[in-house]
Amino acid sequence: MDELPLLEPTLRAVLNELIPGRGPSLPGAGDLGLGDSVKDRLADSWAGVAGALTELDAKARALGGEDGFAFLPDETRSDLLREVAGSHPGFLEGVVFHLYAGYYQHPRVVEALGLENRPPYPKGYSLEPGDPGLLEPVRDRPRLYRETE
Amino acid sequence: MATEPVDVLIIGGGASGAAMAWSLAETRMRIVCLEQGGWMNPAEYPSTRKGWELERFAGPYSLSPNGRGRREDYPINDENSPIKISNFNAVGGSTILYAAHFPRFHPSDFRVKSLDGVAEDWPIDYTTLEPFYDLNARMMGVAGLSGDPAYPPKELPLPPVPLGKLGETLARGFNRLGWHWWPSDSAIATKEYEGRAPCINLGPCLIGCAQGAKGSTDVTYWPVAIREGVELRTHCRVREITVDENGLATGAVYIDAEGNEHHQRAEVVIMACNGVGTPRLLLNSKSRQFPDGLANSSGRVGRNLMFHPYAMVQGLFEEPLEGYKGPTGCSIISQEFYETDSSRGFVRGYSAEMLRGMGPVSTAVWGMSSGRLPWGTDHHAAYDRLWDRTAGMVLICEDLPELENRVTLDPELVDADGIPAPKIDYRLSENSRKMLDHAVARSTEVLEAAGAVETWSEAPLPPAGWHLMGTARMGVDPGSSVVDAVGRAHDVKNLFIVDGSVFVTSGGVNPTNTLQAISLYVADYIKKNLSTLLD
Repeated sequence: MDELPLLEPTLRAVLNELIPGRGPSLPGAGDLGLGDSVKDRLADSWAGVAGALTELDAKARALGGEDGFAFLPDETRSDLLREVAGSHPGFLEGVVFHLYAGYYQHPRVVEALGLENRPPYPKGYSLEPGDPGLLEPVRDRPRLYRETE
Repeated sequence: MATEPVDVLIIGGGASGAAMAWSLAETRMRIVCLEQGGWMNPAEYPSTRKGWELERFAGPYSLSPNGRGRREDYPINDENSPIKISNFNAVGGSTILYAAHFPRFHPSDFRVKSLDGVAEDWPIDYTTLEPFYDLNARMMGVAGLSGDPAYPPKELPLPPVPLGKLGETLARGFNRLGWHWWPSDSAIATKEYEGRAPCINLGPCLIGCAQGAKGSTDVTYWPVAIREGVELRTHCRVREITVDENGLATGAVYIDAEGNEHHQRAEVVIMACNGVGTPRLLLNSKSRQFPDGLANSSGRVGRNLMFHPYAMVQGLFEEPLEGYKGPTGCSIISQEFYETDSSRGFVRGYSAEMLRGMGPVSTAVWGMSSGRLPWGTDHHAAYDRLWDRTAGMVLICEDLPELENRVTLDPELVDADGIPAPKIDYRLSENSRKMLDHAVARSTEVLEAAGAVETWSEAPLPPAGWHLMGTARMGVDPGSSVVDAVGRAHDVKNLFIVDGSVFVTSGGVNPTNTLQAISLYVADYIKKNLSTLLD
């Protein structure tokens, strides 16, 4: 059974908790729609992640959040996420790795870092040759290698 | 299936095999090279894709042959070594993934016994190789700057790789301490050169150069050698070198891409399979005449394995460094601590080679793994502190030869063709440990002098087993070496070895330039002595 539709709001809230938004240029990771790619990359271990997400919702409801984790107050979400992560070893590590990798190659994030959204090739980059005067004290040194003849 | 005999059979189409093939081509002999990999297509290199950064860590361009999953590679059991093997099998060999750092050995590197009382002197010296270093610089297209006080005078055909802001920042740190630094010698076309496009500072040299500016031998020696008549057969994996009743090499048995076995006969066999592949093949070539493996009467085949124990020291700076631009490993080198100084508590020395910074994804993944990039409300502030603000260096420590550091055949592991795979047994010496400690301490000092507000280090660096040397070493004594001063096997007069296996000692620099110079020097000997080579 594909569990993503049921858990999508929870996963999105978790991703926004992991990388929150900052201003208009940097949306939260969940709001950038990275849930599908994280799930794809964690396909082999998704059952464990889904179990943790289900527990997050269950505990949220126990805390009075009838609509689940996504609708808890901000300060409560973070504490609850840490609590559940502690009882599901490996849950957050896998999610965070793939989330960070996906977030920092998303076009909006790349551009917010001041970069062009493109691979290095074929345009490349320009690079300053550097100040040749920096070498003067080194040029003035006696030879450093040992003669062997 | 037997094939037409040839004059010269070269095994391995990497750094040294390509140089040998090109040099011998002018003789118009029939020359065949067998390479177990194929031609790489630069248009498919990761830097042509947005997701290039993650391809450094896993997949067909990652460092370890054990993790790549390419049929062209062979597995290597390196569990009993703190340093893991990083090589690559293709036309161009490991130059496909190397950084193209291209320093020469120092004159003292050939005289370690005489000068420092350790290991052995080489039977050749810097003067022997100097004209071949010069020739190799022209063929590979080496960029650099004359006047380095760490070396005898040398001229290079191309201007140096740009320092960029990162290189300048680190250079100022060295200057504040009064320590040596110099723009790196790099096999990188900084201008259009011999049909190669100029470097455009893509950054990810270690996953192949899509621009073709990096001097891998598939774009330097091979096109010329093939044009001159050398036949390069790809996807041909050699199983053993064959011998006749007189103990002469007669050729090699190899397996092609379809799994068909062939016997390529040859008058002369030249091995260029690197410091692990060469002993593996020699040990796999057992016969009645050579029951312990070919050319192994000394028992030295596979022994004296040397890596360069690496340390990596990095720092965090307060200003952006534009570190994601420019050749990954090539900006400046320091050899302040290269020559022996007994007051340091170890013999021999090391080079420091500067590293550029990281891209956005690498910054995030590294930040996560190092505990510097938390998730949650502090995430963005932490990323701001890391992004484009890291710089550092690797320290390349000279490794001394020890008999117990060695390559053998694994009793169980085999490659895709069922050929026994190599096994590595290696431990770090006390001298290496002291050198690594010194290197980390001094590098930390220079990063702080350059303005780093935080530093961290790792030593030894586990995946840094890319320099493979010493396992069929050169020497005048057949009892303690495998080949003589011209690379000819003591035991088999028509068998030559020209890769890093023949190194007597490792120096403290990247070995590609030296092993290619040796290959050109051996080729020169063969050409000058063709009429009497097998007398």
